Amino acid sequence: MISAGPLQGLRIVECGGLVSAAYACKLFADLGAKVIKIEPPWGDPSRQRGPFPRGRPDPDASGLFIYLNCNKRGVVADLSQRSGQEFLCGLVREADLLIHNVPPSRIDRLGLNYEHLSRVNPKLIKVSITPFGIHGPLSAYEASDLILWAAGGLAYLNGAGPGSDDLPPLKPFGWQASVQGALNAAVAALGALFARRKLGRGQHVVVSVQQCVASILELTFEYYPYMGLVASRLGQKPIQPLDFFECRDGWIFVCCVEEHQWQQLVELMGHPDWADLEIFRDRLSRARNWDALKLLMQEWMAEQSVEELYHAGQARRIPLAPVSTMGDLLRSPHLSKRGFFAVVDQPIAGRTTLPGAPYRLSRTPWQLRRPAPRLGEHTSEVLRALNTGSVWDEATSEESSR
Amino acid sequence: MPLSGIRVADFTWVWAGPFCTLQLAHLGAEVIRVESAARPCVTRLLPPWAEGQPGLNRSGYFNQYNQGKYSIALDLKHPDALMVAKDLVRHCDIVCENFAAGVMERLGLGYEALRAIRPDIIMISMSGYGATGPEREYVSYGPAQVPLSGLSSLTGYRGYPPMHVGISYGDPTAGLHAAFAVLAALWHRQQTGEGQFIDLSQWETTIAVIPEAIIEYAWHGTQPERNGNRDPMMVPHGVFRCAGEQRWVAIAARDDVEWQRLAVTIGRPDLAEDPALATLAGRLSAVELIERAVEQWTSQRSPLEVTQALQAAGVAAFPCYDSRDLAEDEHLRAEGFFVELEHPEVGKKLHLGIPWKLCGSPCFVKRPAPLLGEHTDYVLREILNYDDRRIEGLRASGVLR
Repeated sequence: MISAGPLQGLRIVECGGLVSAAYACKLFADLGAKVIKIEPPWGDPSRQRGPFPRGRPDPDASGLFIYLNCNKRGVVADLSQRSGQEFLCGLVREADLLIHNVPPSRIDRLGLNYEHLSRVNPKLIKVSITPFGIHGPLSAYEASDLILWAAGGLAYLNGAGPGSDDLPPLKPFGWQASVQGALNAAVAALGALFARRKLGRGQHVVVSVQQCVASILELTFEYYPYMGLVASRLGQKPIQPLDFFECRDGWIFVCCVEEHQWQQLVELMGHPDWADLEIFRDRLSRARNWDALKLLMQEWMAEQSVEELYHAGQARRIPLAPVSTMGDLLRSPHLSKRGFFAVVDQPIAGRTTLPGAPYRLSRTPWQLRRPAPRLGEHTSEVLRALNTGSVWDEATSEESSR
Repeated sequence: MPLSGIRVADFTWVWAGPFCTLQLAHLGAEVIRVESAARPCVTRLLPPWAEGQPGLNRSGYFNQYNQGKYSIALDLKHPDALMVAKDLVRHCDIVCENFAAGVMERLGLGYEALRAIRPDIIMISMSGYGATGPEREYVSYGPAQVPLSGLSSLTGYRGYPPMHVGISYGDPTAGLHAAFAVLAALWHRQQTGEGQFIDLSQWETTIAVIPEAIIEYAWHGTQPERNGNRDPMMVPHGVFRCAGEQRWVAIAARDDVEWQRLAVTIGRPDLAEDPALATLAGRLSAVELIERAVEQWTSQRSPLEVTQALQAAGVAAFPCYDSRDLAEDEHLRAEGFFVELEHPEVGKKLHLGIPWKLCGSPCFVKRPAPLLGEHTDYVLREILNYDDRRIEGLRASGVLR
């Protein structure tokens, strides 16, 4: 029996490509909202990204696409054509939200102008996930995920540490700037829905991904306004140990922020005398003498097993963490006991294991109701329903999935 | 503002939890941080300090991520504090906390206890490992979350060890997921009158943002190799050295057309015309040659010159901004991103504001981050309706510190 999510009844139109708009809409869809995703005839670029089952590229079997688009219906429309724009208007007429990441320079050409759409539906909330916003002088700049990670100030903070000045600032794996844009867009979109209850009308919401990235600089940004200092990846860490070590069967991350954690660690290592040494006296001294200490620790760590050390450390309340591989995660007894990973039956890709509920709502759970759509899978179904005015009377998952 | 009239009892600390309640404050909720000088938020104890002078109210870290909130000083370890905390929850719609699993229960503030006094309460627990599972009481710190989640094993230069990502990335990622879940539960409550409990694991919200690697392993038993800044579908795609001390620019040629324009812009029409490089496959097999050609050009120019030239040609590029670049950026100022409110102890300092705009009903940061306990009297008097005698009694017995 499928219970309703907390956002059931909300109607969302998605357009754009790759990750940001798709992840924002996924957050809504997984909590029960109805999402119709519009793709161009050549498909969302995430269909080209993979990974692909058995390594064979197929736009209907891309892992990234599947993860981002489960629980959505998919239609094809060429928004650069009049007929495509009419289709869009038909969908928007009774929608609550339009979430897109089409860059500002292409908005008018694709019929996505807010004034125009709000005439079609004054209650519509249009959420634009943009690279740089729409007001400042650089709004028309082109971007990609990497560009925005750099523009928001995060690339400058990461990369090889002291002594490796020749290696460039480094991006993290994946589409992290887009993910931050998506999360902010989803929060702001729900905010606009609450505002609509008071105002009785929709509005235009603009998200700047550059600003989303700058919002998560932790304590580094304020070093400049507060102390006139600029943080970089080449600076020494102020406290130690906070570092990676290679064990005999993988990597572990050693994190000792509090003194009692360090005391426990040196006992675990069988070197309680280290805690008395002047040069390792407190976390600041350990940071100053880190090159020497790291060598000493590395020698011991190299003999250990990651799994055993992790649990032995945690038993002493030391926040050690394995540097998990994907295999470690999929085999983790903790994650498995919590039932974190989900499985979706995809028509072409087959059974696909993917990250599941990022939060568990006790009354209205996260759930997978249908697989990700094949390109244009629901175009004719939705077109027919548009003519009868029943486009949001979505068929149940039993009916639409084979 | 959208959440005017919604009140949040904020038992969170460090970064993940306060980043969640920051979103609620941005949307206009009245967020009341429950704090204590007996065990101050870690971020009050860390630099940067205003003018280099340490102090509980002088940290830029705390003052950045607690803008717009209120603060009540309440020592939860004191036996008389529980009643005050429960009275506060009675007047709130939402409770947020990010202690390790079990801590709120031990304080007498678990979901069942709170639901008994406020049946429609929405409570989110956002611990490192989640509320259930064999490792639920393990100690979790922000910097360890990135390796634990798998992000570190995927991030790094080709052939080098696993790397960090520069910040405790699991924290804000958990915080934003948490804010969305809370708002969804609030939406449900407005339709049905029902509250609920939300269990969020910071470990899981971080795995949620590396799905393609999880799926690859589940299908093939392999995971993507660490590959620096390169991309399988864009060449060049990287961060390149510019003229000057540690100045860098990010560049991405997203398709064949952008590649042609890039090659022309960097003064290499020969590469633009080379049929071997006209396709992605061709460029992938010549990636080193292409990167050298790009860096030869960028290394003689400033990041700004490079960016302007490439953007004029329609190619995605931007300097690797540092915090000074951000603070002085004309574009971000024109966007209205910064907040500079008068703070009683540190004065007017530049802070980062709200990264989105509701164009029809603007949200704004209403007040600077609170001093520790700044609103104790306001909360007890105006919200809980305590009289002066009661407040003085609590103060005398050491509860309000």
